[in-house]
Amino acid sequence: MIEVNGLGKKFGELKVLNDVSLNVERGDVFGIVGHSGAGKSTLLRCLNGLEGYSEGSVRVMGQEVCELDPKGLKELRKEMGMIFQNFNLMNRKNVYENIMFPLEVWGVPKKEAEERVKELLELVGLTEKKNEKVRNLSGGQKQRIGIARALALKPKILLCDEATSALDPKTTISILDLLMDINVKLGVTIIVVTHQMEVVKMVCNKVVILDGGRVVASGDADNLFLAPGEELRKLITDDYAVIPSGTNIRLMFPREIANESIITRMARELDIDFSVVGGRIERYRDTVMGFLIINVSDAELEKVIVWLKDNGMFWEVMKNAE
Amino acid sequence: MLNELIFALWETLYMIALSTLFSGIFGFAVAIVMILTGTNGLRPNRAVYSVLNIAVNLLRSFPFIILMIAIIPLTRLIAGTSIGSTASIVPLTIAATPFVARLMEGSLLEVDPGVVEAAKSFGAGDMQIVFGVMVKEAMPSIVLNWAVVAINLLGYSAMAGVVGGGGLGDLAIKYGYNRFQTDVMIYSVAILIVIVQLIQSVGNKVYEKIK
Repeated sequence: MIEVNGLGKKFGELKVLNDVSLNVERGDVFGIVGHSGAGKSTLLRCLNGLEGYSEGSVRVMGQEVCELDPKGLKELRKEMGMIFQNFNLMNRKNVYENIMFPLEVWGVPKKEAEERVKELLELVGLTEKKNEKVRNLSGGQKQRIGIARALALKPKILLCDEATSALDPKTTISILDLLMDINVKLGVTIIVVTHQMEVVKMVCNKVVILDGGRVVASGDADNLFLAPGEELRKLITDDYAVIPSGTNIRLMFPREIANESIITRMARELDIDFSVVGGRIERYRDTVMGFLIINVSDAELEKVIVWLKDNGMFWEVMKNAE
Repeated sequence: MLNELIFALWETLYMIALSTLFSGIFGFAVAIVMILTGTNGLRPNRAVYSVLNIAVNLLRSFPFIILMIAIIPLTRLIAGTSIGSTASIVPLTIAATPFVARLMEGSLLEVDPGVVEAAKSFGAGDMQIVFGVMVKEAMPSIVLNWAVVAINLLGYSAMAGVVGGGGLGDLAIKYGYNRFQTDVMIYSVAILIVIVQLIQSVGNKVYEKIK
């Protein structure tokens, strides 16, 4: 649906995007992650032509974005809704008018437009707030209006630019649930730009990690989290003090076995003792995944490794702290 | 004396109403072009912006009284005469237009660029963005600035007396100052104070209502 190849962009002398390639398929929830200044928002804006680019290619639904004339670009943007960190709603319009605006811009007949706004208000659960001034609403409600507005023209793609960064954790989850609903029920492909790892874990099925304008890691979200490479680890640091004696093993729980009591079974079957250093089980999208760090004495290390292999676990031996 | 005061009041209101209206229209048009062609505008055009920018600064540099005298031929061309309150609407409008343009440009620049970006993101055209988003969002600030312009024009209109424009300011100078009729001066100034208060409070009321 979206193919980016060798994309490069400069602001003056500064190269903000460098040889970026990615491929988004219909129905994906695609995460673009990185620290601030990594170029992720710029990348997102190249997709709907809000930013131009000097190198490479961005093809959205078969069209090269930078080759579109103004009319073609408008048509493309109709197919791509966008939501923002600061919501970017019009303060002087009420909730209803804000959602109505894209429909007015496109000259949708009044009756049809009113129907559509009603549907959208229901979808985002703000029907009873429709006559409120936007400034009287909470951040979460504002983002819901932003989402309703972005979906007004029935786009096939929804671009989310740090859409939950200005929200508290509880509201973030409710907005992410809404996005998942939109993805699953309406079949809208979603691109999520964020620096919040939790967001990626909760909603994305594919991820690229940007750093300094380059893609430093990419792949299915599951695999990235189960076997994080160097770059991802920078973003999801888990600081557990590692026990200096024996060997520390990090076990990753893929979705199939996260619910099983694998650790106690290992202890029973191998008849060994080990200590638990730390760990976490988290909700990832529609499942739970997690990791656990255990400390095994050197004498039993081999036994444990053989057992882990036989039971199809993902694991790695951690370097001891120096 | 009462008749003279009432007539002067009428002249003053006539001058500021029409010059505020005309400078509002012209200044608004100039501001829209400046916003479109500015560096971060929707259609950046350095040449057009620079010409307008310099013209606005140039016209605003003239002391009003000198501008008024300098453009007497133009005034005669437009109004048919260079004397009287109708004639003085021409210099008042010309003096206020660049002022309006600058104030309106400021109001429009204050509009959150994010809101403009959002409108672009769903395919709004440049004109839809300027009038449907920027002017709409900036309206409270534009209203406040219009009150500032009207009050400024009230001050300028006092100087219009020099070319026979009449009005309260003129009355205060002619009778109150030159002929030592202190009471006329006090009445004139008192009425001017009331007008300023009225304009400002109407501006504030409208602002509160639409913001």
